[in-house]
Amino acid sequence: MGKYILKRCGYIVLVFLILSFLMYALYNLIPSDPARQELEPMRHSLKANEYEALYRQTRQQMGLDDPLIIRYLRWMGMWRDTDGTCNGVLQGNFGYSNFYKNSVIEVIKAPMGNTIFINIFSTILSLGITIPLGIYCAVHKGKRFDGAMQVVTMLGYSIPVYIIALVLMFLFCVVWRIFPIMGTKTPGMTYANKWQEFADMLYHIALPVIVMTIGSLGGMTRYVRSSMIDALSMDYIRTARAKGLKEKVVIYSHAWRNALLPVITSILGWFLSIFSGSVIIENTFSLNGMGRLYWQGLNNLDFELVLAIQMFYSIVSLVGSLLIDISYGFVDPRVRVDK
Amino acid sequence: MSEKNEFFLSRWFKRAFHGSDQEIRNIMEEEQVETPFRTIAKNFFAKHTVRVGLTGFILVFLLVLIGPRFWVLDLSEQDSSLVNLPPGNNMMSIPSALRGKIRDIAAGRTYGVAVDTDGKLFTWGHTKITDKIDIANIPDEVRNADLVMFAAGDDHVTAMDENRQLYVWGNTRLQQGNFTNEMKKGMKNPDESWDIIQLEASNQFSAALSSDGTLYLWGNSNLADIKLRKQYQGNIAKVALTSNEYICLLKDGTVAYTGYKDKGSVFAEIPEVLNNTRVVDIAATSSTVAAVTADGRVVVWGNAKNGEKNIPEFSAPAKNIYGGRFHYVAWLENGEVLAWGSNKYHQTDVPASLHKNGNIKEIFTGNFQNYAVMNDGSVVTWGLKGFLLGTDGLGRDMLTRIVNGGRITMTVGAISVVIAAFIGIVLGGLAGYFGGTTDLVIMRIAEIVGGLPFIPFAMILSAVIGSRLDPTQRMYLIMVVLGVLSWTGMCRLVRAQILAQREMEYVTAARAMGIRESSIVFRHILPNIMSLVLVSLTLDFATCMLTESTLSYLGFGIPLPTPTWGNLLQGANNSIVIQQYWWQWVFPAAIFGFCTICINMIGDGLRDAVDPKSAER
Repeated sequence: MGKYILKRCGYIVLVFLILSFLMYALYNLIPSDPARQELEPMRHSLKANEYEALYRQTRQQMGLDDPLIIRYLRWMGMWRDTDGTCNGVLQGNFGYSNFYKNSVIEVIKAPMGNTIFINIFSTILSLGITIPLGIYCAVHKGKRFDGAMQVVTMLGYSIPVYIIALVLMFLFCVVWRIFPIMGTKTPGMTYANKWQEFADMLYHIALPVIVMTIGSLGGMTRYVRSSMIDALSMDYIRTARAKGLKEKVVIYSHAWRNALLPVITSILGWFLSIFSGSVIIENTFSLNGMGRLYWQGLNNLDFELVLAIQMFYSIVSLVGSLLIDISYGFVDPRVRVDK
Repeated sequence: MSEKNEFFLSRWFKRAFHGSDQEIRNIMEEEQVETPFRTIAKNFFAKHTVRVGLTGFILVFLLVLIGPRFWVLDLSEQDSSLVNLPPGNNMMSIPSALRGKIRDIAAGRTYGVAVDTDGKLFTWGHTKITDKIDIANIPDEVRNADLVMFAAGDDHVTAMDENRQLYVWGNTRLQQGNFTNEMKKGMKNPDESWDIIQLEASNQFSAALSSDGTLYLWGNSNLADIKLRKQYQGNIAKVALTSNEYICLLKDGTVAYTGYKDKGSVFAEIPEVLNNTRVVDIAATSSTVAAVTADGRVVVWGNAKNGEKNIPEFSAPAKNIYGGRFHYVAWLENGEVLAWGSNKYHQTDVPASLHKNGNIKEIFTGNFQNYAVMNDGSVVTWGLKGFLLGTDGLGRDMLTRIVNGGRITMTVGAISVVIAAFIGIVLGGLAGYFGGTTDLVIMRIAEIVGGLPFIPFAMILSAVIGSRLDPTQRMYLIMVVLGVLSWTGMCRLVRAQILAQREMEYVTAARAMGIRESSIVFRHILPNIMSLVLVSLTLDFATCMLTESTLSYLGFGIPLPTPTWGNLLQGANNSIVIQQYWWQWVFPAAIFGFCTICINMIGDGLRDAVDPKSAER
């Protein structure tokens, strides 16, 4: 097992390096000149030749004339900067956000907290609904309720999530006025205590969480249902029933344990989205989360921020796939991942 | 041997639907054996949901395919006077109670106001200016007054009653109702100098002309030139308002630009042809003015962008002229009515019935509507009735944008699916067939690409590469990006299928017969997995459409003004639109949701038909 994980980690590092280089190269396609930006305030106070000299010097200092691979290695922190130290991603310096005038780490902190908070809620809620629902549909396959759920889940995964968001927004925020339309806190509100602040935030994120849950309901319910049906059609279920076991035991102990394996893949995929957040939902509801930060970064041409977030996404997805493979071994003792 | 000469596709086709050659079929018939494709087709069409989905999709597809021929997209289209109109078809539906009793009609932007001979007021069309202001909410003092004259502007109505009192209602927030001191004096003491013979209203300003040649102008002076040069006062016979300027016909039969912009106005350059002749009538569109000379010719000048200067041949001298927003209507001496200018909303399509119905008594022209009151009291109308699905925030017809947007969304979806399928089948085929290192490398690449967070990555590609492309190139970019990022599913499917099929007996048999390897893969294995590929294609098509629309919704897909179903909804992410202009997001969302549901129904049905085991789930 340990050897397998080590091998996978090596693979992750390799892929990460390739990916990050590709991303870095992609960003270098953007026409921009940081040296010129830096000197812009001094431009009119200097003579043309002085400016030219200073410009060249700055370019050299910033290392802009070096080849792409050197600049990439500097950015990663694997090559000495012009001042002789390594200061890059490996040293914990993810860059500087031009738009927020702050280091990327600082900028990301608050949205990341929000995103994790919101997504944990929606994940728990959706799992709490989809798994029992999927199991119920599988056990009562072909009944009227199952047929109705088939239609509902089909609607769920066919309709884009932002349309669901718009409809619910219209109903809950405009027609019935139950929930606030956007944001994570009531504007101008001062809170008496922490609990009140927390309650206000819960109130604000209620609708986004509902939308996320509905959006993920369709696909997940179908997934649970079909893997459960597969498991229920196995011979060992017949054996278990023949032994005279209670139906509950048959379903939850025999069938569900086996149906869990394919389900675990998508559950973990979900947990990963806890960090990445949903660009669409955070945008629609103006929530200050990772997805929205990313969207704003792209719109504000704040590319160091975007690059850092993109790197973060890539790491999360790579580590996630490793976790999925390892978790198979834990969930199902028959699976030996290190083979 | 004749079969050999046939094109291989037609042979496939025959096999798919007619079974193999005749002899074999005769034997099969006795045993009631079907070809696999027949079974698939039968299973496929037997399902209720599939039939619904297929019908729905074909309907949407035809609408999107043929629709753009009827609802032609004009990317530069926008009209400030038609913004945010709700769905409706009643802009020219004159109340039947008015029949035969019309005293005066005022046709405004999207509504009409009329008074009958009993002094009763009627309104029709879209009268809501904002959510608070409604032209149909006539103030009580106006309702009680006995009105004789009317003028309808863009967002306000001006009227005069028998006692020569003026009223303004509608939007009065921008000084539309602020009468000048001279006017107040005139209304208080209505003598000969306050004998209003003409009322006009335009974009936030109005004009009243007295019989002694005095012109009164009032309204939003920031928007419109509502000052009059002193030397013309008392000398004016008729006034015509453009959207923010005006022009006068003087009592001596000449036309003059009497405002203060002077040389700065295009209307000040009065054509030389008019210098030597008398002018009998004038009219104005939003940016041009027209004059009718005594010998019946029409002269148009100003900023003619919509063909206002393309005056048709007259069969008789012109008598009167009327101006809409972008069109003119001329009434000739022989009773004929001609119209020219912009015909976007059929405002120049004078109905043929107009000349059959007898003689015209009066003609009223609004922005896009025309009303001809006949001598027998009936009213003939032509022009813009309304918009079936409303208009958006720039005054563009939603129906046109939905139909054309659907075409683009579907094209992008289809092409990106084809790109994804091509890459997926080729790489999956290579991986499955060659195995070993090729398989390893290809599957690792697929794993990386499949593991990337899709939406963020597509956004980044679109933002970085798309920033230096024009809109059309950007559309191709989106197709390629979607295709390049979504081939991994297909690749895995094809690889797995090829691995499974390679162990089948028919492949062993083919090998034993000494058939070439490439022939085995493409002529024997590929047709066998084609059905599964088809299922995957159908479902991917829906997914690609969803992704494209999501990207467009976020602003990183196809850029505006090109419509797609996604970026039609981009504008809806705004609390005002959600609250007040429901038609701007409900219709695109409905048709798009319907379309993806239909495609998924077809895809699911197809999968069940191809793989009966999945139907049992």
